[in-house]
Amino acid sequence: MKRTLPFIIILVVLGAAVGSALYYTRATPGSNFTPADSATASTAPANTAAQPPVVTGAPGADPPYTLGSPNAPARLEEFGDYQCPPCGMFHPILQQMHKEFGDKLQITFREFPLPGHQHAIAAASAAEAAGLQGKFWEMHDLLYEHQNDWKDKFDVRPIYEGYAQQLGLDLDRYKRDVSGEAVAQRIFLDRKRGESLGVSGTPTVFLNGREVPFASLPAEKLRPILQNTINAGGR
Amino acid sequence: MKLYVTAAIISLLGLADALYLTVEHVTGQSVRCTIVAGCSEVLSSQYAVVAGVPLALIGAAAYFSVFSLATLRAFGYRIAATLLTALVLLMFLFTLWLIYLQAFVIHAFCQFCLFSAAVTTALTVIVLIAILSRRKTT
Repeated sequence: MKRTLPFIIILVVLGAAVGSALYYTRATPGSNFTPADSATASTAPANTAAQPPVVTGAPGADPPYTLGSPNAPARLEEFGDYQCPPCGMFHPILQQMHKEFGDKLQITFREFPLPGHQHAIAAASAAEAAGLQGKFWEMHDLLYEHQNDWKDKFDVRPIYEGYAQQLGLDLDRYKRDVSGEAVAQRIFLDRKRGESLGVSGTPTVFLNGREVPFASLPAEKLRPILQNTINAGGR
Repeated sequence: MKLYVTAAIISLLGLADALYLTVEHVTGQSVRCTIVAGCSEVLSSQYAVVAGVPLALIGAAAYFSVFSLATLRAFGYRIAATLLTALVLLMFLFTLWLIYLQAFVIHAFCQFCLFSAAVTTALTVIVLIAILSRRKTT
């Protein structure tokens, strides 16, 4: 008995380890979230069983920055952090979706700067300050596209001021706005909205008020989900 | 004997930690940025995957091996001790490399990786004590 007991213990631990790993892989929400494939997408109802609930939450900054038509059947809302690498990776995906779906897709961006990112608030402020001069999306694009250029820098202000100049903004006004009350207030309200919706990380994406699992954000997974929603008329 | 039982129990903590990170990696959750900072930078870095295999899975295999060898040694299989010492020292060197990467290359720390580093350090101390006490007795 004494000679086989250690092997029995080892096998039991191996079984428990593999078993629990498989169990949690399956149980993680969204890990196996695959929408109906495109062949059946047009006939299948978009929203059947096991859908996350529709949430409304606190209002957020008003008016929000949006792309596409307010009457679009698919209304996507992203909570993002300019310093978060996966948000940076999601940015071109969302641009591609905007290009493909046009007026059928409305995209809203909400500021959700995470406390662990030292420049996240500064970046959000830069985008919001540019927004006060009508160039929110232009600054938004620059911040994401050049994320790797600034995220490890010690002082990011001159870099963002460079972007402001590049966009032809009134630099004196930008410098005032970036540390001003209006910008801080908008970020605060967006964050409050995120918190009220239970956002705990970025990017978090809602489609018509339902959270889209993080694992479904690659383009090839997001596209059929958007198509389904549009085909179903937004339901 | 008691030392190896302790090593086996501690290695289970490392195994649980590594398995958790493996599951997070496989399900894609690990690359997300969360309110608890640091992990997404580390776990989505190029160092999180070695030749297509998640580093966390390699870690889980290593901790499972440590557990197996420590258990065998605790039950009197003396040959396991040599292998255990070699494996733990190798893991310790690897851990130093990973801490270096977090501190000086990625510039972010992940608490799950630091926990694993603590576990490996504890295992290293146990293995060293085992070597020293063996020297004394023989």
